[in-house]
Amino acid sequence: MTLQRISWLFAALGLACVAVGAVGHWLLAWPPAAASGWAGAGAGYLAGGVVLRLLPRWWRQHCDDMYAQPAGRRYLRSLWPIMVGYTLALFASIMLIRRGIDSVPLRALVAVAPAFALVLLMRAALRYLREIDELQRRIETEAIGIASLLVSVLYFAAGLLQKAKVVEVDAATAMIWVFPLLCATYGIAKMLLTRRFQ
Amino acid sequence: MNNQVRALREERGWSQGELAERLAVSRQTIHAIETGKYDPSLPLAFKLARLFSMSIEQLFDPGE
Repeated sequence: MTLQRISWLFAALGLACVAVGAVGHWLLAWPPAAASGWAGAGAGYLAGGVVLRLLPRWWRQHCDDMYAQPAGRRYLRSLWPIMVGYTLALFASIMLIRRGIDSVPLRALVAVAPAFALVLLMRAALRYLREIDELQRRIETEAIGIASLLVSVLYFAAGLLQKAKVVEVDAATAMIWVFPLLCATYGIAKMLLTRRFQ
Repeated sequence: MNNQVRALREERGWSQGELAERLAVSRQTIHAIETGKYDPSLPLAFKLARLFSMSIEQLFDPGE
């Protein structure tokens, strides 16, 4: 599957989520939190589609090359159900937590449900890493290394600033942003490293 | 490291993609090897040498 097709798929998913939110809000009288949750997920997918369209041409061609290979095809195939599962788990988890769950173990289980999907993502990513060729593996491992070090240093510095009462960041927000920051830094590092070998 | 990969590939009329397929690597890897931006591992260098029926020393020149 080419990156162009993936961007269209993101757009379609985004519009579908926004439509579900709109139907829920105007026709089914859902509570505002439920409707806005769907709209938020839709906006996320739409933004993803736009970002994919704005990527440089050489990078899109590189990604198309990589996803045309057996390892890339297998990775993409396993990625879709995981991402859809993650979105649904996140939506359900937020809704149930907002509604309130008295039992602490059950609340904990519901709260971490979206993270289970990310464990599956990690398994798929590790399999992809083992199956790609040596240059790609070198680029991937370097990008993962750079992302881990940069995000660790950033959080260490932020922790020191918080301790010195220079900044005041909510702990839950800070922890939730670790994974997205790692993914974004890894993506940028991978682009730069790939460019070096072009 | 200098090498003869591009010349030998073109002699046989193969595209980078075709060579990549024969070696089960990506097209980018072939491009990086040909332009000297990436030195392959020993197993990949052996695969390349066997494919072109040459020794590694004939295919790659460390250019001391």
